[in-house]
Amino acid sequence: MADLSFPLISAAIGIPALAAAAAFGSDQRARIAGVIGSAGSALCALECLREVQAGGGARLAEPWSLGLFTADPLNATFLVLYSLLTLGILILAPRRDTSAKITGATLLVLASTLAAYGAGNLLVLAAAWILSALPFILGPFTGTWRPRAGLSASCIAIIGALGIIASAAHDGGATHPFSLAELQGHNFGGSAAFALLIIAIVCRKGIFPAHAWIEDAAEAGPILPVCLFINGHLGAFLLARVVIPEFPLSAQGAFPILSDLALFTALYAAVRAVAESKARRILALLVLSQSACILAGLESATQEGITGALVHCMVVAVATTGLFSVLRLMEVRFGRSFTSDHYLGLSEYTPRLAVFFVVCGLALVGLPGTLGFCSEDLLIHGTLVSHPQIGLLLPLATAMNAVSLFRLFSKMFLGTQKTGIHGISDAIPRERWVLAAIALFIVAAGVVPSAALSLRRNAAQALNGPMAPHSTTVAGNR
Amino acid sequence: MQAVLLAVVLAPGAVFSLFSILWLLGWDAPERALTRVTAIVYSLATIAVAWLAWSLHASGGATIAVSLGDWFTVHDYHFPLVLLGDRLSLPFLALTVVLVGLIGQFSATYLHRDPGFARFYILLHLFAFGAMLIFSAGSFDLVIAGWEMVGLTSVLLISFFHYRPGPVESALRVFIVYRACDIGLITAAFVMHHLAHSSSFANGMPHLTDGDATIVGLLLLLSAAGKSAQVPFSGWLPRAMEGPTPSSAIFYGAISVHAGAYLLLRAQPILMESPIAAAAVVVIGLITAVQGSMIGRTCADAKTSLAYASLAQVGVVFIEIGFGLTWIPVMHILGHAMVRTLQFLRAPSMLHDYHQVHAAAGGHLEKTGKHLESAIPQGLQLWLYRMAIDRGHLDTILERVIVQPLVQVSLFLARLDRMGLPSAPAKAIKPAAMQSVTAPNEGVIDG
Repeated sequence: MADLSFPLISAAIGIPALAAAAAFGSDQRARIAGVIGSAGSALCALECLREVQAGGGARLAEPWSLGLFTADPLNATFLVLYSLLTLGILILAPRRDTSAKITGATLLVLASTLAAYGAGNLLVLAAAWILSALPFILGPFTGTWRPRAGLSASCIAIIGALGIIASAAHDGGATHPFSLAELQGHNFGGSAAFALLIIAIVCRKGIFPAHAWIEDAAEAGPILPVCLFINGHLGAFLLARVVIPEFPLSAQGAFPILSDLALFTALYAAVRAVAESKARRILALLVLSQSACILAGLESATQEGITGALVHCMVVAVATTGLFSVLRLMEVRFGRSFTSDHYLGLSEYTPRLAVFFVVCGLALVGLPGTLGFCSEDLLIHGTLVSHPQIGLLLPLATAMNAVSLFRLFSKMFLGTQKTGIHGISDAIPRERWVLAAIALFIVAAGVVPSAALSLRRNAAQALNGPMAPHSTTVAGNR
Repeated sequence: MQAVLLAVVLAPGAVFSLFSILWLLGWDAPERALTRVTAIVYSLATIAVAWLAWSLHASGGATIAVSLGDWFTVHDYHFPLVLLGDRLSLPFLALTVVLVGLIGQFSATYLHRDPGFARFYILLHLFAFGAMLIFSAGSFDLVIAGWEMVGLTSVLLISFFHYRPGPVESALRVFIVYRACDIGLITAAFVMHHLAHSSSFANGMPHLTDGDATIVGLLLLLSAAGKSAQVPFSGWLPRAMEGPTPSSAIFYGAISVHAGAYLLLRAQPILMESPIAAAAVVVIGLITAVQGSMIGRTCADAKTSLAYASLAQVGVVFIEIGFGLTWIPVMHILGHAMVRTLQFLRAPSMLHDYHQVHAAAGGHLEKTGKHLESAIPQGLQLWLYRMAIDRGHLDTILERVIVQPLVQVSLFLARLDRMGLPSAPAKAIKPAAMQSVTAPNEGVIDG
């Protein structure tokens, strides 16, 4: 295995961790520390991605890290995307959301999520998984009991799976029982480990029946860190990084159930959003619905489906970051959390924020001209063989999501203005530039999707490998 | 010819992108710039389409195909970008560029000094781009792209006067119907790809078996009926009249309302393979035509009356398509679109026009349709009147059969989800504006 030129992943993790320590010291310099930390992390991740691309998509080990971290096409893009999203959020977050505690904890979430992405070792992955959830279990991002319960369950499940796999690997004579490369294809731990990993994924990703914590977290918790946490998509990543490579045989039997559950979640959340009135919950349900099908794409065993799922991860992450950000900025301006009970007519004051909301929303529901259209097209096309029902259910769920989103947009930005609103301004420059970058990415990558798809092609090929002998690929030309 | 076709299709998209990016950067385009650019672009486009039609006729060719390669490719899967200019698409392209140009000129006066002037023009260009994509697409996938753009601009223009709740609520209703019916087109494209390994019709329609053709035909009919406001989706059309008159004219008198008919014309080879689908097209068209003419006679306002008259004509077009005719529906659509656009644009002056005609007739303008009414028994007349007043009860039926059960299920799921949670009031946040009063150093905007 070739090496990276420098311990870039460790640097990408270490810089925000150090910045978190600096941020905890003072409210005054928290945002600056956060921006520097996440920008440094993004630069390291970008260089890592460049080296992976230059290496032709091979997995690269990090020098001097004892195999703890590796970079490949699957995680390199996630590393870049996640650090850039964090950077964007820290730049545009309102001042009250950049206190020392919140910024420090956000940077810790960033560092631990990057560690999970970069892990070449199951122990590191599990530790990072737990660390990233701690701010939501122990504080400062705690809300109601359900997020704590859901995330705790996912942490316990992954610890259980880790123990079983390590024990089985040791008994099976593995020299490095935690190394992901060595575990590949061995099915260590069998059905028990597999089941625990699936439970961890279901709980973390918010798949039915463990979905409600995401709504609660979005409603009661600080919305921008929650958005960042959800958009880590660590559940889908665990599936791609560990479950598919380690348990190809178990996966063949159990994946259809997981996929059907994910499809059901997509439909459930879409129906649920139809009559929901709280803006935060509506957005959380839309994220749930739109991201649930990623699992079905990942296990479709077609390169189109897997590529669609990986690109859809990017779309959901970027679009929902834009949506949650606009919502938060509007909440701070308006002074209350929004409900869809009354028209507020706020586009009169904030026309550009309204446009950003529309663009991100349209990308989330897959309108042509945005990257969401390409990812959903690939996702549905690729999963038609394994899940013909997705061809009907996903458009149905997406249609309902679009209606819910338009309803929320109408209530917030259109209609009769509420009287007595003064002093509300449109996006200020730092907000405008971040949101413009998000909109530009969504639209530019939608008009010319080849670049975004090429970033995920090698990862899709690698993921399709373990399942390909059992799969049927749809050939053809549209 | 390929380059000209490409330029004609892309020009509205380029103008839309230019003006919207400049607006996002903070530039409010003056009215004169918007109207002049619109006039120049659509005048040139009209000349270009005329030249294309003449060239195609002179060369004796059947099709101008522009292949732009693949939009994206993954493994064996390609999304080809093929534009078609043939004897079906060119009349529709011509109709679009001529009417958008005319509407652009009309709106310069009609919307003068309206706060949403620039927004109207930006959306008009996006609409034109979407319509051009629909009419020139070489595959159903590309049709979807244009279809969605037309739907979106339609909804945004219905809510043009967004400071009133009425237009916004109407826009939401229209959006719901559009999205529900778009599922038909999207699913048809996937089903075609699944069954025939292609949804492209650039080299002829893919061959399907009778059963498959019925499925695809009915799915396309669902989508076409939604876009063309056919029964049972007619209820959205009067609501769409909340938009400004120029957009009502071009959307619901001319282009958008005929997009469904165009889709069926394009998919006619599939319909002809399935007697069930073809019969369904005829039946829906027939019911819509009868219902549209009845309801139109009971409408109190000019625009809604025109909308139902338009709907009745589109119903007749559907019947023609269902019977396998091609040129008669095309000519019917072109003539109807032009006349109806004129009527819509004159609608604000209709009372004035009526008085003029009334005076010209010497004050003896007879009410039309009396001979028909006299042939219907009094009891049946009353029953029909009640039905027409309630617009065929369609909204009520859809509300009871689909909307209310869906909302009930959603509320039930919400109760399930919230079990075990305390009921919390809406979270109060200190507003930034108030903060600027209490803490001057913070500035007006928090941050």
